[in-house]
Amino acid sequence: MDARNFQYMFYGFSAAWVLIVIYAFSMLARERKIKAEIDRLKSMMEEKERK
Amino acid sequence: MREKLIYILGAVAAFLFVRNLNVILNVLPDEAQQGAMYRIMFFHIPSWWTAMLLATIACYTNVAYLATGKLKYDAISVSLTEVQLPILFTGLSTGMIWGRIIWGIWWTWDARLTSALVYVLLCCGYVILRNGIADPTQRAKISAVFSLFAYADVPIVWLSIRLWRTQHPSPMELPSEMWHALLWNWLAIILLMIVFLLLRLRQEEMRRELDGLRRLAHAA
Amino acid sequence: MDFWRHTITILQKDLRAELRSKEAINASFSFALVILLLFSFAFDPTEDTVRDLSGGLLWIVFAFAGALILNRSFARELPNDCLDALLAAPLPGSALLLGKALANLLLLLAVEAVCFPAFGLFYNVRWTRQFWPLLIVVLLGTWGITVIGTMFSALTVNLRLREVMLPLLVYPVMIPCLMAAMKVSNQLIGGEPLDAEAMVWIRFLIGFDVIFTSLAVLLVEIVLVG
Repeated sequence: MDARNFQYMFYGFSAAWVLIVIYAFSMLARERKIKAEIDRLKSMMEEKERK
Repeated sequence: MREKLIYILGAVAAFLFVRNLNVILNVLPDEAQQGAMYRIMFFHIPSWWTAMLLATIACYTNVAYLATGKLKYDAISVSLTEVQLPILFTGLSTGMIWGRIIWGIWWTWDARLTSALVYVLLCCGYVILRNGIADPTQRAKISAVFSLFAYADVPIVWLSIRLWRTQHPSPMELPSEMWHALLWNWLAIILLMIVFLLLRLRQEEMRRELDGLRRLAHAA
Repeated sequence: MDFWRHTITILQKDLRAELRSKEAINASFSFALVILLLFSFAFDPTEDTVRDLSGGLLWIVFAFAGALILNRSFARELPNDCLDALLAAPLPGSALLLGKALANLLLLLAVEAVCFPAFGLFYNVRWTRQFWPLLIVVLLGTWGITVIGTMFSALTVNLRLREVMLPLLVYPVMIPCLMAAMKVSNQLIGGEPLDAEAMVWIRFLIGFDVIFTSLAVLLVEIVLVG
């Protein structure tokens, strides 16, 4: 019983950590996308000014 | 400046988590009835405490936005609520896994679990609502009002185990070493949440910059 | 008592508009009866199962049929800038909300008044044994549904995805109210009188109604006008 409970405890811990890690990665991915869009718009506007 | 703060807090949180895991797994003894399984409470309980704490702070910033109209309060509110989502799901899943082992059931519809699930649904609804509104001022106003309605559930979640007899365990006495481990883990989770909060706030600022640039680009 | 005069004016206006066109109420009646019919196929309505499920079934029907009425509540004012006209009128936003909520309450009560006899017929249930307590519970629960629904109708009136967002946002907020109403209605439809536990749920319902009515009255001005 004890060994099995230990195993389920690890499932519980891993569930908690996996969710946090997924969220952290999704936030970083979103930030990268926003940054890319900002850079794209900035370069587009600089081109327009040069013309 | 903020970058450095994010890194420092992240490092402290990571260090605390490692230290706490050591305490939780190696130092503390097994509990008499539950074996090793009770250790999940060191994540389950602080997760929910943190979520309730963030919800309460969000209530203040929502009222502040409605009172002053300054969009920075809206940025803080949305960051607080979105950052609550992973911690809420963590709290739910750790609770369900514990329940499956100790009670034999994944779920039950008692006061605490039902009101907690309602709160999670309301947070998800908040995020969906925000994504559906394009105009920043209207979005801020509508989500602030919705958030205040959603906050009405939080006292029910908190008080449910004190007012009613529930499947969920009632408040109990803990030996001091377990109590200390609990509080240290809570600190670690709060630091992690502050890191996420700062990251999300930065994203919100970037989004506003993006909105401004888009408007400029389309006007030219 | 200007406030109540304004509220009653809005109440009369909404009722008159709805009763003349009958768009929402017809849809609501048909929807409710169809769901009742469908549920009778979903499970075999023997005496015992019906007694356990009656409260839950009826309140689900009321919640879904109510959403049709509540959606129309503020959406009706969008064509021809009627909403702007109402906001420019010299009445407080809370009077507008209460008037519309009361109108919705009466409309939903009308739907429920048809649903209960239909339920009794389709499922062979004698539901009138505890009529007066049942009426009180129905009034409290329906007010909970309508005040929240009208408030969120005001909240979502200007959104593109209004029809989708309203049920999505409203149902989780209504869950405590529906739960309390379901539990007590189950008992009352089964013929048992109100006991101590049921009184706890009724107090909970009253508290819910008071809290959400106050919140709605406080916040509606901000939502409508900004």
